[in-house]
Amino acid sequence: MSIPFTHRHILEDRMSGYEPSPNANHLTVLRRPVIFSALAHAGHEASVAEALSLVENIVVRSVSPSDWLLVSQNAEAGAIAASLGAVPGLSFAEQSDGQVLMAVSGPDVRKILAKCVAVDLHADAFAEGESAPMMICRVAGNLARTGTDTFEILVPRSYAGYVFDELREAGREYAMTRGFGE
Amino acid sequence: MASLITCPHCGRRPKEEFSIRGDAVPERPEAAASEEAWHAYVYLRENPRGAIREYWHHVAGCRRWLVVERDNLTHEVFAVTDAREAATGDAA
Repeated sequence: MSIPFTHRHILEDRMSGYEPSPNANHLTVLRRPVIFSALAHAGHEASVAEALSLVENIVVRSVSPSDWLLVSQNAEAGAIAASLGAVPGLSFAEQSDGQVLMAVSGPDVRKILAKCVAVDLHADAFAEGESAPMMICRVAGNLARTGTDTFEILVPRSYAGYVFDELREAGREYAMTRGFGE
Repeated sequence: MASLITCPHCGRRPKEEFSIRGDAVPERPEAAASEEAWHAYVYLRENPRGAIREYWHHVAGCRRWLVVERDNLTHEVFAVTDAREAATGDAA
């Protein structure tokens, strides 16, 4: 007997009754991103970092000098795994079900994030395209700046509900709406 | 306690992101060293006032071990280095 599995997002229940039209400040929960964690073997850090930057359809999030998270929203996990498998000195594992990806955007995004993150997010200190591991609402996650007023948050799945609630509370003052995105 | 630590990999971070293991001064003796040497390594610690060296783990950040040199009286942080770099002299 085969059991059909249907994908159900961990934040599905918390989204009930969400606003139909997004405000300027909006929290998007990405439904099914493909996420890999990648670790370079000792001595291969620089060559792996360069090879990862050449892999198509992924965004590289830095964690440490030998540790990355790879995010993709338009490629299959199998295709990415195949190109990662060709990189010498790299170990990787799929984390799509282990991490939750959220995007916060809007003119007040830095004021909202200032309530959850103790790191300077001014464009001079944290430029567009930069990413770093940090405490987000007291949870160890990864924050990336994808635009002037857009940030992406990666947190472990089991903490996602809590982080989502905290972000919603932080955004209440700025009328932040929330919803699923593809 | 010093509240902002400049991690060599992540930049200036709040101390809540770190977990402190303790004194980084004792050096692990050889496996065949005397019992006195092992006893001193495992149990005996100085309790200095002023400049100290400690192992800090950047748990919520790059997850690397760091050696933090700080002053436990004035809370000044003198240096933060990757533990591997501190041990071998190579950059990680």
